[in-house]
Amino acid sequence: MTESSSKVVKIITKKDLNSFVDALIKDKTHETIGVKAKGKRFVFGPLEHSRELCLDYDVTILPPKKYFLPQYEKLMGFTLGNSFNVQQSNTEKPLILIGVHPYDIIALEQTDKLYLDSQKDDFYKKRREQAIIIGVDMQQVSERSFAASMNTHVTDSGFDLLLTNIGDKYTITIGSEKGENLLEKYAKTKVAAAAEIEKRDEIQKNLASKFKKNLKVPKEEWSALLVANYNHPIWEKRSQKCMECSSCTMVCPTCFCYDVKDDVSLDLKNGSRIRTWDGCLLRDFTLIGSGEVFREDISKRYRHRFYRKGNYLPERYGFIACVGCGRCGIACLPDIADPCDVMNDLSHFERSDNTGKFFIKQKTEEVADKGLIHIPRSATIKRMEKMTESEMFFEIELDDKKSLGHKPGQFVEVSIFGIGEAPISVSSGPSASASFELVVRRVGNVTSHLFKMKPGEKLGIRGPLGNGFDVKSFEKKHLLLSAAGLGIAPMRSLIQYILDKKNRKKFKDIMILYGAKEPNLVLFKEEIDEWCKIVDVTCELTVDQCAEGECWTGCTGLITTLYPKIHLDKYDSKNTIAVIIGPPIAYRYIIKCLQTLGIMDKNIYVSLERRMKCGVGKCGHCQINGVYVCKEGPVFNYEQIKDLPEAFE
Amino acid sequence: MKPRVAFFDFSSCEGCQLQIANLEEEVLDLIKIVDVVSFREVMKEHSDDYDIAIIEGSIMRPMDEQRLRRIRNHAKILVAFGACATIGGVNKIRNQWPVKKVMKDVYGDVDVENNEFFKVSHTKAINEVVPVNYYIHGCPPNRDEIKHVITSLALGKKPEIPNYPVCVECKKNENVCLFELGKFCIGPITRAGCGAICPTNGSPCDGCRGILSKPDVECVMELLQRYDLTYEEMKSRCTIYNTGVFNPKDGMTLVRRGKNE
Amino acid sequence: MSNTMDITIDHVTRVEGHGNIVLNVKKGNIEKLEWQISEAPRFFEAMLHNRNYDELRSITSRICGICSIGHSLASLKATEDALGITISEQTEFLRRLAINGENMQSHILHIGYLALPDLFGVGSVFPLVQSKHKDSVKKIIHLHRLSNDMSDLICGRTTHPIRLVVGGFSAVPTARQLSDLKKRLQKDLTVAEEVAKTIHGVIDGFPTFTRETEFIALSSKKEYALYDGVITSTDTGKHPDYKNYQNIMKEYFVPYSTALHAKHVRESYMVGALARFNINSKQLHQNAQEVANLFSLKAVNYNPFMNTIAQMVEFVHNIEDSIKIIDQLLDSGIKDEKPQEITLKVGRGVGIVEVPRGILVHDYTLNNKGKCEKANCIIPTNQNHANIQKDMESFVPQIIDKPQNEIELNLEMLVRAYDPCISCSTHYLDVTFI
Repeated sequence: MTESSSKVVKIITKKDLNSFVDALIKDKTHETIGVKAKGKRFVFGPLEHSRELCLDYDVTILPPKKYFLPQYEKLMGFTLGNSFNVQQSNTEKPLILIGVHPYDIIALEQTDKLYLDSQKDDFYKKRREQAIIIGVDMQQVSERSFAASMNTHVTDSGFDLLLTNIGDKYTITIGSEKGENLLEKYAKTKVAAAAEIEKRDEIQKNLASKFKKNLKVPKEEWSALLVANYNHPIWEKRSQKCMECSSCTMVCPTCFCYDVKDDVSLDLKNGSRIRTWDGCLLRDFTLIGSGEVFREDISKRYRHRFYRKGNYLPERYGFIACVGCGRCGIACLPDIADPCDVMNDLSHFERSDNTGKFFIKQKTEEVADKGLIHIPRSATIKRMEKMTESEMFFEIELDDKKSLGHKPGQFVEVSIFGIGEAPISVSSGPSASASFELVVRRVGNVTSHLFKMKPGEKLGIRGPLGNGFDVKSFEKKHLLLSAAGLGIAPMRSLIQYILDKKNRKKFKDIMILYGAKEPNLVLFKEEIDEWCKIVDVTCELTVDQCAEGECWTGCTGLITTLYPKIHLDKYDSKNTIAVIIGPPIAYRYIIKCLQTLGIMDKNIYVSLERRMKCGVGKCGHCQINGVYVCKEGPVFNYEQIKDLPEAFE
Repeated sequence: MKPRVAFFDFSSCEGCQLQIANLEEEVLDLIKIVDVVSFREVMKEHSDDYDIAIIEGSIMRPMDEQRLRRIRNHAKILVAFGACATIGGVNKIRNQWPVKKVMKDVYGDVDVENNEFFKVSHTKAINEVVPVNYYIHGCPPNRDEIKHVITSLALGKKPEIPNYPVCVECKKNENVCLFELGKFCIGPITRAGCGAICPTNGSPCDGCRGILSKPDVECVMELLQRYDLTYEEMKSRCTIYNTGVFNPKDGMTLVRRGKNE
Repeated sequence: MSNTMDITIDHVTRVEGHGNIVLNVKKGNIEKLEWQISEAPRFFEAMLHNRNYDELRSITSRICGICSIGHSLASLKATEDALGITISEQTEFLRRLAINGENMQSHILHIGYLALPDLFGVGSVFPLVQSKHKDSVKKIIHLHRLSNDMSDLICGRTTHPIRLVVGGFSAVPTARQLSDLKKRLQKDLTVAEEVAKTIHGVIDGFPTFTRETEFIALSSKKEYALYDGVITSTDTGKHPDYKNYQNIMKEYFVPYSTALHAKHVRESYMVGALARFNINSKQLHQNAQEVANLFSLKAVNYNPFMNTIAQMVEFVHNIEDSIKIIDQLLDSGIKDEKPQEITLKVGRGVGIVEVPRGILVHDYTLNNKGKCEKANCIIPTNQNHANIQKDMESFVPQIIDKPQNEIELNLEMLVRAYDPCISCSTHYLDVTFI
């Protein structure tokens, strides 16, 4: 059980507790929130009087996450038109939450790990810092809750005050100075007697016996159980009943994925960027501008939720991202969402040999606090050049005249207020100037709007985002760079870096392979010709097809036809690093070609694309199993992700 | 250049047109960002020169089909406005019976054979007659969504309409689920975008924004059993706005979920 | 002197629904004059066949977007009449507020958006926004918002209400919300009176045409009847036998119209705000009486163009009435009441209310399983079509020597004065399914 003996414990009568709550309510410098009845159920809501407070509730419909990550949140306001005008205001009053159960307290602490990492979410941070959590030990237990099995039914941290009903009185365990000060200011308490503290301990100890629902396998075994059963038929079978309503993620205290949309007023003058809860069970969760959906099958989405909670997040942070509150079990209409049921079901089956790896252990680099992660910086379009029917070249300069400071392979989120945001790879090499270059393909609202803009107009830039290429590890090696289709755009940022006079000597021979669909879809043709003139740089271009009468002197055929032409004896495959950037379908084939050439998996790098919305590993859309493409990628070492089932589907 | 917009209505209750008037002060903003060149219900003027046609109502007669086709030819963008236009709405309920039977029951023996006005066929949604570019769902549509579609069209972007069920919005509103109160709600398979307004006001969702997917047999059976509801109640609720989606002849056509629109 | 012309006004503008005016004149003789309804019939009675009693309200609400609250209330009254349910006092108060809100919303929409442009000589309300009259437009919009906010609060949604259910309400407003509403109503009473004065300034735009006809509306001893009352005629007095409404409202088929017409003791009769005023004017609240006096509107007035003015009078009355109802609700305290318990039984029920355009009847027969076997609705506008036709026949000879465009405008204004709801009126008949 929990060791709370180090904390000071006070005692309060029920009457004085009510007075305490009423005193809190009266002070309008903060908002007093407590658990109230709503019909037959309970919710957290603003209190008008202490008699509304129901401390003996079983579980609320929504967890207290709604106060820290609201259902609908205005991230910023903006004006439309050509001035870059962003307004942010955070005038929320500090909150006092009364009646938070231990499992919800623990869930908030888990959320902190995600939202208060090196790329802190400022809104969340401020709310958490301002809030005072007054927890309460469970008195009633919902028949769907299995918090005892998760050891989240009691807690000794995460609260400012913790109330325990010991019969005629409440003990108050003080968890922080804030809590202590609150009591001093508003409450009439005494120091608790030893017997009273003992009573509290006994209640906490005996709480586990009140739970009707229990895990049949210890929670420590969840991760291993999941790893062993990725392809188990249970996912297909259970998900058949799924209605794809995502109620499970909405009511979950440890689900915090979100979507961001722009709202514009009818006079087209002002707008807001709104953040709202999203759910991985929804089909469009992974939808990108081109219309592609990753994880389309419902059984995969259904499975993903359990893996995120039982394996991906535990691998990353060391805790199981499920606190056994039972809300999803209550909310799921066909009753398939309950993790306790799923784990108990799985525990019946033989462990298979399959040891899947769903997470990449990253070096724990302490990345500097990046500051505001949501607000874009102002930038101006310097130059635009049409490259093809659907691709346009942009030169963009940040208005503060500072360099973007990016690494090859990183991307930016291009923001057009009123339209939205889109992730675009940076196409130019790192440079000290404030300008950088992008190639935009017209697929959705943002990119279509970009096409209609003109030099001199403004847009917003967030970034640089993503990990970029680890160019240090490329030094002293030969480089074989394969770009398919639009992949040449991000590849160019790497090529420009390598071919830069300062850097060229660090690398050995360079071979650039580029395959486009047709001659008129070849990008950067002149520049590529220049690259080929550099010593020890070879370029091979090919097009999938060439129409009659079209002028093309290069090769024809898919990009894969280029590899057999590479002389193996001329190529020191052991000392060659290969990089591939192209559409999802290209990877599998090109990797085979590289392996045939003798290039080792650990020397192959890929750049993957998913739906990148926040760019900072929070909104959840870009996940490939347990990996955030926007944070741990988009550049990946093939050896690390080749066993990731969702990487090359 | 402001887009030129024209409003039209066919067989409907005109509640959707009313929602435009219900924008109140914002109607004044509306007429600043678009040129309303035809809106029979509130304007005398009419012009056939429009970019965007916004259509309310279902199609009941050949003469209505003709009028609709003419509008489609004039317009670059055609928007189906409200449940009658997007999915047929309540007007489709009578499609359960052959037209002749309904005509006889209503008009009895009065001779309407040669009267153009009375030549009625089965109710059709707009997209059953002409291609539709965008949809504004609901009965009536949500005013915020109307504003979103109009501002999107004025900005030249594709409107972003939810492709997920009402449950998402209902849960965000922290409503007590109506199933827990013994009511059959078809929110789980109905398109969101209305803010779950009916469940929030204590009334089960009737599916006026259109069905997103058809759930599995086992799922439905589990649901009915878990909440002690009857098949009749479910069928009843599913056939107010979505007659034809579920075939009443052989019970629910329980097909594995279809692709979203 | 002898005019020859052919006028066809296809789809009259600024009215709800599709109607045509056809006038053929040869050398001063009227050869054809028809008020044609071309709206497609929607067969609402077919929709109600075999549906559960608790669905009838939401389906019939969709007969009309503007009077959806009125249809809902008539439907609920009919269902409750059939099942023998008595609603609570609180429910009745809330329903009266709902019907007031709808009356206000519909009237101000008609006055401001549909009728007023004619008085200012413009095609729609939009050009007025840029003109010296823009303040009046803003006030009208302000009052429209007030009415809608009231209906949103009471019914959950103003168009196609949600909270109105058999036996009561699925959710009720809080005391604070009602008292906030009351403050707004008190404040906006002045705005309403200002709008009335503005209309008074341009009232000469309405023709002074009269034709004697019968008026039918609900009347009640307690109050100016909207939610409840006895069918009353200016010719034959009160008719308390409400279930036999068909003895008074006799519908008949007309070949050039997809909507039925109706008559009682004369060839036609009129329903709506003017009818209600003519029968119940003594029961108007004070400020409303003063507005009536401003226009010298007195019972019995036979000028159909004054229907719009009667609507303005009712608007003011509805505000005063709503304030009184809210006071009573706040006094007795709002309870979170559940709707009344329902026991199914075989029965026929008739629900009659006054909606903005006139008296509305819903008539249902339920079987022992609570399913609807027979349904009939009498829509206000159906009852006005014959009167419009007769008015035109009397009016045209009086204006026959005017230029064609003036005749057209006058005929359109005549139709508009009735504030017809044409799509409602094309649904239909008595239907029995076997």
